[in-house]
Amino acid sequence: MKIYKCLKIAINMVTHSKLRSWLTIIGIVIGVASVIALVSIGNGMEAGINDELSGLGGNIITITPGYSKASGMGMPGHGPSSGSESVSESDAILGRNDVQALKSIPELAYIDTNIKGNAYVYYFGKSAQLTVTGVDQSVWSYVTTLEILEGRLLDPADQNVVVIGYDLSRNYFDEPIGINKILTIEEKSFKVVGILDEGSGMSSNGLSIYMPLQSAYQVLDDKTKNEYDSITVIAKDSADIDSVVAKIEKKLDIVRHVNTIDDKDYTVISMKQILEQISSVTGMITLFLGFVAGISLLVGAVGIANTMFTAVLEKTKEIGIMKAIGARNRDIMLIFLFNSGLVGIIGGIIGVFFGIVASYLLGGGLMSTPRGDSIETVVSLEIVVLALFISVVVGISAGMIPAYQGSKLKPVDALRYE
Amino acid sequence: MEQNKTLLNLENVWKIYKMGEVEVPALKGITVTIKKGDFIAIVGASGSGKSTMMNLIGCLDIPSKGRILLKDRDISQLNESDLASFRGKTIGFIFQQYNLIPTMSAFENVMLPLEFQEIDDKIASKRSMDILRFVGLEDKIDYLPTQLSGGQQQRVSIARCLATDPEIILADEPTGALDSVTGKNIIEMLYKFWEDEGKTIIMVTHDQNLAKYAHTIIELKDGEIIKTQNNQVN
Repeated sequence: MKIYKCLKIAINMVTHSKLRSWLTIIGIVIGVASVIALVSIGNGMEAGINDELSGLGGNIITITPGYSKASGMGMPGHGPSSGSESVSESDAILGRNDVQALKSIPELAYIDTNIKGNAYVYYFGKSAQLTVTGVDQSVWSYVTTLEILEGRLLDPADQNVVVIGYDLSRNYFDEPIGINKILTIEEKSFKVVGILDEGSGMSSNGLSIYMPLQSAYQVLDDKTKNEYDSITVIAKDSADIDSVVAKIEKKLDIVRHVNTIDDKDYTVISMKQILEQISSVTGMITLFLGFVAGISLLVGAVGIANTMFTAVLEKTKEIGIMKAIGARNRDIMLIFLFNSGLVGIIGGIIGVFFGIVASYLLGGGLMSTPRGDSIETVVSLEIVVLALFISVVVGISAGMIPAYQGSKLKPVDALRYE
Repeated sequence: MEQNKTLLNLENVWKIYKMGEVEVPALKGITVTIKKGDFIAIVGASGSGKSTMMNLIGCLDIPSKGRILLKDRDISQLNESDLASFRGKTIGFIFQQYNLIPTMSAFENVMLPLEFQEIDDKIASKRSMDILRFVGLEDKIDYLPTQLSGGQQQRVSIARCLATDPEIILADEPTGALDSVTGKNIIEMLYKFWEDEGKTIIMVTHDQNLAKYAHTIIELKDGEIIKTQNNQVN
């Protein structure tokens, strides 16, 4: 029998057992739709995070004191990574020698030295302990990814001025803090020259205070001059980040007398590495979501197999008739495979449709990040094609054993079946 | 009418069913030669082995012992698919319960064997229409079997059997599920076809009135042929 004739008979079978076919199809629809919806959430998360991070610039490299063999990673501007094996911050310091060593690396464009600590801030009779960051204001504007909402960033000539975070300026004290207002920090007066944009920069904290490094040494009295909590450097655009990181480590190993990994007392981390690490995490989340949804697709496949076994049983007599009037085993096999394949592809198409609808609904506000932004879901063509392909493969492979059993029926036995 | 050419040979055919440990012989050494143009009725009480014999003659089953030669080819030597094709081209079946595919229209049912033989659609479709006209169902071609009466269904099944122009027509109690008037119409249609076209008909029946149409009557009892009677009179 010609292949398209087998397909025709298969279509006839599907359309004549509508209820069962539809129930089976629903199983696949749920599986495919959940794969599409969940993977689109994962993809959306990945895209959202990458989007947010891409503004940060991959050529930022941060050096912090302390080293953890366990993770080896710290977030920029947040001090050393913590961990049981880390060298504590008080033991290891970054200083002028380190800066000198970094200055000898030609691939580096800017070197920004930072200190960070807590200080009491007074404004309109209220006080609070807040984090103050001292930055090298001569290069800070080139290094930072923070964006200014009002006013300006710090200038090289600035003294006793601060740039503050959005939340601090708007909600923190009873009165909003505007440009040119005076904050008292540890009994020194600072003029606000800039307010940061809301949510700018990955590590931005709405309550941050940035001031020139020299002022910060006066405010944070536990800090020693020419010792830094972190050094942020910017590699030149043309430089290969990984090799620059390697160069920095080589230089610092020399000045800090690091001979073995056990001696290592600093951490170099590039934004590129962080981006890679985060996207590998979100990739895993996507994979996990896809896996969970895949289980429901598997259940759908079991449904198809079940239906096909029932169909073969129910059609036993017809198989016998067809064989008596000249059907070969191959014909019977194809008819049942087409039947299960059809259930798979119809379920797949409808599932893709519902999956896309579901992912748009989820993206449209049913789900949101803790910050209140809605998660954009991303339905990629690849996942749609893959889902359709899988649903056909699932359909056909679920029908394989029943179809084979049907094709192997002896005509005499099949005809006798009632 | 040429009646010399041998179509089917059963040579000392045994069929033994295993019921657990017990072997039950359904046929015990049957030898029959069927020539082109024969009209043979196989009669016998139920349990006499006539259904088993029918299945073997129709190549739906293979013998436990002995040989069956269909047009000089030993059916035990053919693989399943070759046997299916060969059977489809050579033998047409008419069943007591019609055995139409319930989800297909009369026309589709008649087309089906032609489709298995991969006959060109145009030719197959014309042939099916002609045959349906011959059995008087040209106005019912789009009806499903359930929308047809018993007699009409049996005529569809005859049309399906004749569509492939088989050399042998095997009819298993063709009127068994029909009332006597309709049954008579059906057997007369078969008889006319046998007379006009020179086909070979083998019919299994327990109905003596039906058997009278055949010119050879083979009577089975307990798996053995107890009588072969020539009945040229009709």
